[in-house]
This record gives sequence, C-alpha cells and structure tokens, in this order.
Amino acid sequence: MSKMHQIMLKIGPAAFRIVSAWRRPLDQLTDLYKAYPAPTGETVDFTVRLEPEKPWRRFVRPSVHIGGDFWLPDAAPLPLEQGLLGAEMGMNLQMALGWRRHLLLHASSVEKDGKALVMTGQSGSGKSTLSAMLAERGWRFMGDEFALLSLDSGEIIPFPRLISLKNKAIEAMQDIASEERFGPEMKATPKGDIRHLVPPRDAIARMNKPARPALLLFPRFGHAPELRDMGQAEIFVRLTQASTNYVALGEAGFRSLTRFVDEVPVKAMDYQSIDQAEELIDGLWSELR
Amino acid sequence: MTQKYRAAEKDELIWHDLDSMTLLYHRPSGITHMLADPAPAILEVMGGVPLSAIEIAERLAAGFDLESNIDTENIVLARLEELSGLGLVSRVPT
Repeated sequence: MSKMHQIMLKIGPAAFRIVSAWRRPLDQLTDLYKAYPAPTGETVDFTVRLEPEKPWRRFVRPSVHIGGDFWLPDAAPLPLEQGLLGAEMGMNLQMALGWRRHLLLHASSVEKDGKALVMTGQSGSGKSTLSAMLAERGWRFMGDEFALLSLDSGEIIPFPRLISLKNKAIEAMQDIASEERFGPEMKATPKGDIRHLVPPRDAIARMNKPARPALLLFPRFGHAPELRDMGQAEIFVRLTQASTNYVALGEAGFRSLTRFVDEVPVKAMDYQSIDQAEELIDGLWSELR
Repeated sequence: MTQKYRAAEKDELIWHDLDSMTLLYHRPSGITHMLADPAPAILEVMGGVPLSAIEIAERLAAGFDLESNIDTENIVLARLEELSGLGLVSRVPT
C-alpha cells in the first residue's frame, strides 16, 4: 500500500480528517483553511478519502475517487486538478448524510445584531452568492451551504466552510474580495466553473458563536424584485426537503422544525441584483422586533 | 357486522397546527404526516374507542357545523381507509 497523506480540519462544530493519495489537494486545503483553528485531540467526526479510482491511476491521468464514512455510489471520479473540489464535496457529503447533532438545512446564513438571516432554496436561487456578498457588506458570514439548527436552543450554529463560488459569482466576488482569499479556479467541473473563497476573518474567528434565527428567506434570482408571503404548510414542506437529516432525527427533528416554522418570519424574495436584494433585506430587517 | 376503527394511541402522536394544515408526527413509524380537513377532526373525535363510520359521522355532526346535503358517512369512510393506509387508524377485528 503506498503512502497516504492526511490533514485535520475543524469547521464550526465538525472535525474532519482528509486522507489523500496525493499531497497537492491537501496543500491547497491547508493553505485555504490556515486561519481556522486546528481540531483538538485525535477524534474527528468524519473521514474523507481521496484515492485513485484504480491503483495505476495515481500516476497515469490521475483521477480522484471520493470516499469516506458516507458516500454515494454515483459520485463520479474527478481529475486530479479538481481534487480540492473533491475534498469539499466529500466533506459536504459527510455532513449531509452523517450529521446528527443538529437539524441540517441546505441553506446559507449571515448574522447582524446577534440575529441570523437564513436563506434557502434550490440550486441557482442565489443563496450562496447572497451570503458571500452580504458578508462583504456588514453581515457576519455563518455559512453558504449548511445551516445547523440546534435541537434544544433553536439557534443557528455556524458552519463557515470555504465559500464555493460558481460561474458568474466568481467574477462578481473577484471584484470585491482580495486575491489572496481565493483558491485555484477549476474550469468545467461537474458543478460548472468553481473557485473557493476564504470567508472573512471575523466569520472564522466567531465560528463557534450561534445566533437566533430572525428571518427566513426563499430567494429566487432573475425575477423582478418582489416579496411574497408563504403559507406555513408550504414552508414546512420546503424545509423538510431542504434538510438532509430531518427523517433521521425523528421526534427531535420534528420538534425543532415546527418550532422554527412557528417562530421565524418568512418571505419569498425575487431579485435581479445584489443591490436589489440588499435593499429588500434591509427593509425587512428594520421591521423585525 | 359494521367495521369499526380505532385511532392510533394518543401518546403515539404529536400534533402541530400549521395555518392551513395539521402536522401529525407518528412516533412508532417516525413519519410526519400533513393532514388536511377533515382528517384531523376525524382522529380527534375518535378518542380511544372503536367506532364505525356512522358513529364518527354522528360525533362530527355534534361537534362541527357540517353542510346538511353532504354524505358525511361516505366521506368519513373514505378518509378512514386513507388513514388506515398511513397507519394512523386501524380496523378493529369484528
């Protein structure tokens, strides 16, 4: 068995061990996660493995197979240049399939005045880009992919992993964030063009500080600016769809999600630009009690 | 003999009202059900006792304002069959 390399990473409450047949993706991760605190102790929540698809593929047109404690059979191998993406996808997969300590919502979140704004919606809704943009405009970034809802306090626990920018969002963020915060640009991946962005320093320093959810938005990019009310039944169903572990958590998941739907005001928000979205959000935020 | 039905035990269910629907978490199966009227009302009036569709229709008529020209018994029967498919109601052996 040839030598494997490994690093440990801590993002919010989750500790990961990344094991790889190649050094390079780990060097890239180490660099991008250098501001994050190292996990204490030997125990981790999840292990992600980046291995050659076939043993000889380590050297010949290397291709990365993503494995780990939890995996999906159809996770396609990636070329080695996209190993960093593979590691990030592997970490997301472990969280989505294995996390049990909080209700996991596929949502981005940012914080201001001690209160969290949670944004959920399908891929392409702009929730990730919105959270990245707001993080440069006076909000604390809490996460662009997963919002962890505490089962007992009802608070949102940050999970500020690297921000995964796609396609047009890459250029938009390059205009406002400094170059040293970016990872390598990966063209034409299975998820489109991808470039990772290190969250603002403050987001990392305060990644263990939860916030009470004060507003839930269902953003939708590409439509004339508008805010709409939503019925509780629709909100509940869409949140169960946005959660990867609602069923696994059983009664605890039911209680935390119904509490969330009862307590948190909700709007559907259409927008065509970040400025429009910010204006709508600022208006809603100023009306919160 | 008329078929009788019994609702799931009270402590097997957690109720939660949303604006237009009722959520019912069924502890034995771990399944969350989203019920529209009149299914929640049917479960509510059944209490813990075995009842036929006619008896349930009578209890509903006593507790709720029902339209006079609808066939309550058949509506109740259809909902009971659906609820038993979900495991929220069981047929009591006659």
